Amino acid sequence: MSDLRTEPPVAQQTAVEHTSRSGDAATGRRHITRARLLVLSAATVVLLAVPLYVDAFWLQLGLFAFAAAVAALGLGLLLGHAGQLSLGHSFFVAVGAYGYTFLAAESRTLGVSHQSGLALPPLVAAVLAVLLAGLAGLLFSPIAARLRGIYLGIASLGLVFAGQHVLFNSEPLTGGFNGRNVPGFSLLGISVDALPGKTLYVLGVPFGREEKLWYLGLAVTAGAYLCYRNMVRGRPGRALRAVRDRELMAGIMGVPVTRYKAYAFLISSMYAGLGGVLLALAFGRIVPETFGIALAIEYLAMVVIGGLGSAAGAVAGAVFVSCLPAVLERYAAVLPGLAPAGSDGVSPAVAAKFAFGAAIVALLLFEPGGAAAAGNRLLRAVRRLASGQRARPARRTNQSQQ
Amino acid sequence: MTLAPTAVGSPTLTVDAVTVSFAGVRALDCVSFAIAPMAIHALIGPNGAGKSTLFNVVSGAYRPERGAVYFCDTDLTRLRPHEIAGLGVARTFQNIALLAAETVEENLMLGRHHLTRAGFVACGLRLPGARKEERRHRDRAREIAAFLGLGDRLHTAAGELSYGEQKRVEIARALCVEPALLLLDEPVAGMNARETALMAHLIRDIRDALAIPILLVEHDMALVMSIADRVTVLDFGRLIADGAPGHVQRDPAVQHAYLGTDDER
Amino acid sequence: MNQFLQLLVAGVSLGAVYSLLALGFVVVFKATGVVNFAHPALLMIGAYVTARLGMVNDLPFAVALLAGVGVAVVVAVAVQRLLVHPMASRSVIAVSIMTIGVDVVVQTEITRRLGVDILPMGDPWQNRVATVFGLTIPQTRIAALVAGLSLITAFFAWFKFSQWGVAMRAVAEDPETAALMGVRRSRVCALAWLLAGALAAVAGLFITVFPAPGLEPLTATVALRAFPAAIIGGLDSTGGAVVGGLVVGVAEVLAQGYADALSFLGLGFHTVLPYAVMVVVLLVRPTGLFGTRELHRV
Repeated sequence: MSDLRTEPPVAQQTAVEHTSRSGDAATGRRHITRARLLVLSAATVVLLAVPLYVDAFWLQLGLFAFAAAVAALGLGLLLGHAGQLSLGHSFFVAVGAYGYTFLAAESRTLGVSHQSGLALPPLVAAVLAVLLAGLAGLLFSPIAARLRGIYLGIASLGLVFAGQHVLFNSEPLTGGFNGRNVPGFSLLGISVDALPGKTLYVLGVPFGREEKLWYLGLAVTAGAYLCYRNMVRGRPGRALRAVRDRELMAGIMGVPVTRYKAYAFLISSMYAGLGGVLLALAFGRIVPETFGIALAIEYLAMVVIGGLGSAAGAVAGAVFVSCLPAVLERYAAVLPGLAPAGSDGVSPAVAAKFAFGAAIVALLLFEPGGAAAAGNRLLRAVRRLASGQRARPARRTNQSQQ
Repeated sequence: MTLAPTAVGSPTLTVDAVTVSFAGVRALDCVSFAIAPMAIHALIGPNGAGKSTLFNVVSGAYRPERGAVYFCDTDLTRLRPHEIAGLGVARTFQNIALLAAETVEENLMLGRHHLTRAGFVACGLRLPGARKEERRHRDRAREIAAFLGLGDRLHTAAGELSYGEQKRVEIARALCVEPALLLLDEPVAGMNARETALMAHLIRDIRDALAIPILLVEHDMALVMSIADRVTVLDFGRLIADGAPGHVQRDPAVQHAYLGTDDER
Repeated sequence: MNQFLQLLVAGVSLGAVYSLLALGFVVVFKATGVVNFAHPALLMIGAYVTARLGMVNDLPFAVALLAGVGVAVVVAVAVQRLLVHPMASRSVIAVSIMTIGVDVVVQTEITRRLGVDILPMGDPWQNRVATVFGLTIPQTRIAALVAGLSLITAFFAWFKFSQWGVAMRAVAEDPETAALMGVRRSRVCALAWLLAGALAAVAGLFITVFPAPGLEPLTATVALRAFPAAIIGGLDSTGGAVVGGLVVGVAEVLAQGYADALSFLGLGFHTVLPYAVMVVVLLVRPTGLFGTRELHRV
């Protein structure tokens, strides 16, 4: 193919500009300013130091937040970039959670109930559980490909119901209604669970289960986050968004549409499965009751509140939705209007539900881009203020996604 | 009238007795014609004649109930749209099918999809192979954008461009596919005489630079007569004329279909 | 055989209730394109008000029921006016997700008020049964069948012949032309939500009376069956909603009645069956039995 190194046609645009200048996202990579680097380093230091200073309650909460964040990223990819309205995310999270539990636990019989397990090493079990969740997503994708919009949404709700039904009824796998203990995680010989007489000390601070799980959760979430950003900014993200917005055109331009819809389900279910593994570890004991419609709606709330498609938004939304109930509960005594659970007033758990239900309504009414859009606006305003002295022409960079 | 596909190697399109019906109405009725290598071939006809339908059949959006379309010895009607793109068939859309919220560069990069291979894992982990590939293809996309005078619009959202610029982005994106056959759907719709003349130059430049056949659907007779090597006329889904522009212009059946060959614009 | 017929009748009567529920849901979808995820919440509100007022001494049941319907209608119209109407220019998916938020808020409040209580509805039929043609049928189910059939018939007659019914069909079919012909779209939308509230409240009554123990938080899960019923019939088909409701009702009751024979499918299979049926229907007809197929223009 000859290259088009001919002169630009007469009287078209002005001088051809090769945008290799830094700052204008020439290669699609964000220009790392000094300010950004500073903020990132500070955040990293803080996150790494957290277990040295805070108590188990917050660490435990943090682990739930990490689990939610990873799962929310998966839903963000599916809903925000692939445009598939799947409300069945909690099903794939359940596959990850119970997959890990089954694969890593030992078989045992307690009286009349028998719980089976394969007793695989925890790391292997975790990886397999994630792959299993991905497989489940892949198996669901042909059904999803045939359905559009809300039909897909409600079909996926059916998946959650069916999944819960299976979970309630397979005692050997799940322990039935009463649930099942989750085997501890261990990596490179370091077990997460506390072993008597072998407490790990770091900088004088005893490292128990919560501390170790914090680092695990942080590492996994950071990796998942970066991976997500790279995927959506690159070729796969482009293809998904094209399929979402103009499916026929995308196919004609060379994107294998059905295959990409399947990929979207595969990747998002793997994220969900990974979130499920973290969730199981955070709980320590899982019951089928957890993985129902309410959880699916929570994940939806996370991505909507955070801003559809945005990675930071998904994480922020996840932190908000997963932590709010516990935070409200902890400070119930000092917060006006909250009454303890069981009494007639508004308990913290109830207040949290009100909060995120109202947040969904308010955001969709006034700020459909969620917290991410609001955050972007704030950042731009701050930048404009900061560079107010220098007379620079208005940028025309369009940030279609983070 | 059926035509057999021609020799291997020369990129050429053969439409063979294609028939398409929608809810009982014949949109295309046994249409057959061939495009010569490196030819600018115009497809004209009154509104509703079936021109866009034929485009959609060639690019794989519709499957004909009868007939075939041969390109590079392959029957396109048996392929999925993305496989057709893989063969190098690229098109523009009459009603501008760009992703308005994405930048021009991102829109162009979509055209490179079938030429690149980086998947979710490679991109997610930012493997060096994926990064190199992205850089190479971005350079090429920028080159093509520059050729079409879009160099300084690369980072503007496609939705913010003027209509004329958007049409050029459509063409640039089609060129990013590295086409062996280019389908242009009403490239000068909504343009004035000066813009039309520039587009005519551009189309000829593309054909000369890439040495590929170009099939274009158009209403603008002046453009068609000035650059087309061959003209095919459709009316009510049927082919009523097929030949050199001057010949077709004088064909009484064509004149009848149009009630005069003067362009109202 | 007797058992089968009994189950069938019970199933049809439950199905009639589901049809009412699905109908309200479909009416909103047809008129506005919005998927109203707050529909179960409307049901819960109506049932809650009816139950609470029913517990007040000397208040006739009919009054309590009317109040329940009234409150559900008021809430539905309020949601439409205050939340849905301002979002008229936005995508229907955005509005639909917004109704999820409404559902969460409303259901949370009702669940909070219910606590662990199970409220009786104060209906006149209680747990009495009647014997018809040798079959024992709970009086509540007969009432459900009668109410369901009459309301459905009334609705379709109104839909087809009355001015407002025609207006609603026009808006559903072609909003722009309807507007040009003088139909006030916002009025029609409000009317659609009004109907949804009323139908949901009536359905709520019959879902919570015998053989159900009463109104409890779990009722919301039953109310969710509106969705598979509507989907099976086709989201934009009012006739389909009736068919879908009947299918779901019959399937559920039969599965429950033959639970012993079906025990290998697990305990409580009858709650999952509507969704299983829905998935099977969708695989064969991706837009439901009577829904319109989507056409793609390039």
